[in-house]
Amino acid sequence: MANRSVWSDNRFWQRSAAWVTGFAAILLIWLTFDTSMQISMGSDEDLKNGVTKRVPGPTVINYKITYEMDAKRGHEVPVIGEKELFFGRDDWSEEEAGALLHLGKLGSQAKNCMNCHTLLGNGAYYAPDLTKAWLDPAWGPEGSLQAMTGKPTKEEAMAEFLQHPSQYPTHERMMPNLGITAEEAKGLVAFLKHMSSIDTNGFPRNFGKIKGAVHGK
Amino acid sequence: MFEPFTDVIPSFFGWLNQGPLTLTIFLHTVIILPMIWIYFQEKKRIENEG
Amino acid sequence: MASSTLNESKQLATWYFTFAFILFGAQLLFGLVAAIQYVMPGFLFEILDFSVARTLHINALVVWMVFAMFGSVYWLLPDETGIDTVGIKIGKLLYWIFVAAIAVVVLVYIFVQVGPADETTIWFIMEGREYIEAPRWADFGIVVVALGFVANLFLTGIKGKQTGIVTVLMADMIAFAGLYLAGMFFTDNISVDQYWWWWVIHLWVEATWEVFVGAIAAYGLITMIGAHRKVVEMWLWIEVAMLFGSGILGMGHHYFWIGTPEYWWEIGALFSALEPLPLVAMFVHVLYDWGKTQGAEMNAEHTDEDSVRSVIQNKPAFTWFVFNAFGNFLGAGVWGFFHTLPQVNLYTHGTQFTSAHGHLAFFGAYATILIGMMYIAVQGKNNIKVMNNTKSSIWAVSLIVGGVMGMTVALTIAGYVQVLVSRAQMGATWAGYFDGQAGMWFAQGMDWRLIMGVVTFLGFLLLAKDLLTTGKNPVHER
Repeated sequence: MANRSVWSDNRFWQRSAAWVTGFAAILLIWLTFDTSMQISMGSDEDLKNGVTKRVPGPTVINYKITYEMDAKRGHEVPVIGEKELFFGRDDWSEEEAGALLHLGKLGSQAKNCMNCHTLLGNGAYYAPDLTKAWLDPAWGPEGSLQAMTGKPTKEEAMAEFLQHPSQYPTHERMMPNLGITAEEAKGLVAFLKHMSSIDTNGFPRNFGKIKGAVHGK
Repeated sequence: MFEPFTDVIPSFFGWLNQGPLTLTIFLHTVIILPMIWIYFQEKKRIENEG
Repeated sequence: MASSTLNESKQLATWYFTFAFILFGAQLLFGLVAAIQYVMPGFLFEILDFSVARTLHINALVVWMVFAMFGSVYWLLPDETGIDTVGIKIGKLLYWIFVAAIAVVVLVYIFVQVGPADETTIWFIMEGREYIEAPRWADFGIVVVALGFVANLFLTGIKGKQTGIVTVLMADMIAFAGLYLAGMFFTDNISVDQYWWWWVIHLWVEATWEVFVGAIAAYGLITMIGAHRKVVEMWLWIEVAMLFGSGILGMGHHYFWIGTPEYWWEIGALFSALEPLPLVAMFVHVLYDWGKTQGAEMNAEHTDEDSVRSVIQNKPAFTWFVFNAFGNFLGAGVWGFFHTLPQVNLYTHGTQFTSAHGHLAFFGAYATILIGMMYIAVQGKNNIKVMNNTKSSIWAVSLIVGGVMGMTVALTIAGYVQVLVSRAQMGATWAGYFDGQAGMWFAQGMDWRLIMGVVTFLGFLLLAKDLLTTGKNPVHER
């Protein structure tokens, strides 16, 4: 039987399958350890010392966040700048900010945000992406959404909208009233601000940079 | 060919990720190469059986 | 009743198929509600909102497939191992627990919908994580049921004849059940949250489920056309090597933009770019084996031309298996490859493009072959030797395949508009999003999606009629 080929031999393929599967799984576990360390949340110390973390600590809500082109990395990255008031304060302690973020993250799941919106690009496609919603010019000082709610700051405008979404129809397709309380809305806005500070490798591209491209807007 | 490291935090995998496809070609190679060894082992077994 | 002759494992399989089919109907109904809402946003507003309809649409999808997969295993286990399934009484008990738990979860989704931002919502109403929204209490229930199922499979596999198909299923199903655990915790860090969330979603649908399909296709080829077991199992091992070799690290294509390091770009791009290869292999395998066995039949000695017969023992099931080979390659392979490279995905991530891929891939890779298994069960239950197509089975498969293809094309066009207008031109903001949604081609895409959704649903009704009545139809050879 000199002519029997290894290529049509079940045992060869069985052993190859076992090897490939096992080794790919080991690599994935190794990569998971490496990535887990890199995406663990930073601390207040890191923020004070200017240490860049892919996912900053919750006290990032005390700072101004912008989305800037990084020449070295070839895409935009969130940049944490000077102090900025968030609901009238810029001295949220690690515990307070952490509790607010916890409330907001729980709220984002309890209200099922992800089955209309996308978060970090994942979810449903019925409503705008929330990854960098905090940085959307529409919610800024000259933005139409902030003006619509009549509130003086971005965070208050967002919180007001979240509590009474169907009072502020922005489009034929409206956000339903989900029974979000004032405290929950505050938490959700903190969650959104924190999410905008996550280094998403440049996604979404050109966010909030383009004005007047369509219909001369 | 070799580009400066651009990732935020240095790591082994980041270090292998030095230019066009270096990391992924390395990983594919280490997965495929041992199959050559399995191939010759099985070839020997089949010859012995014959 | 012919069903009384069914062995207990196969009887349990028919229960699983029945409930799976009911959930399949629910999936299509709630999908229609969501599709109508894209066209008429006021439809059921603040009664059954899009988020609720879509939760039910995708959960019914996942659960009916899990049910049909469990059913398929209970169906083939006695054939493969040559013995009765071990612990079938417990299997039957777990079935009723599973059905009851799902009924409660669905009623809560429909009537409670959302809860306050605290742990009680996560435990009793919903976890709010796409595809695995089921509340935590149900998670534990699912783990218990899955462990019972895996125990049935393992004890039977160890006691009976351990074929290659059974070996692959044993390894695959324990990974399938175990991976669910990765999706059962809460964290404030959304990057960590989504990292582990993909362990469940990706390693299910792009690794363990695909290997499951390979094993089922192998079983189908042996039972339906009498393909040679040694050849079929060799293909199966090649598929396992290629599916797991590309699929496990192919997970990197979900780690491009969720806060994870840049090195995932390379890993995700090239490993997932290879994911279509095993799907091509499966496609070649199915058609090749069919041609080979049919060719052998043609060359065999026949007294006259008319006695040359088809080697297919179950024509409707085989039709669905062939569509599986096509659909898996086209939906998961081609539509997946479209947007798997990071350079492209930067703009297509989170658009209707993903939705187009999702529709064709879930249908092509899984729905088709599981419907095929249901026909195999109808054949076995009614002691049919050669099962032929009826008018309804042909119309059902044509309408469903045509409908899903139509939805996919419509969503792909809508996705292009979204990519170009919302993403590339307008930079993904709130205003940019709605500019894209207002595009004429986007709106027309959504209209066509709804129309094609209705076509699919008509096909489903015919399929239901056919599965219920074809068993008694005199066109089959008994």
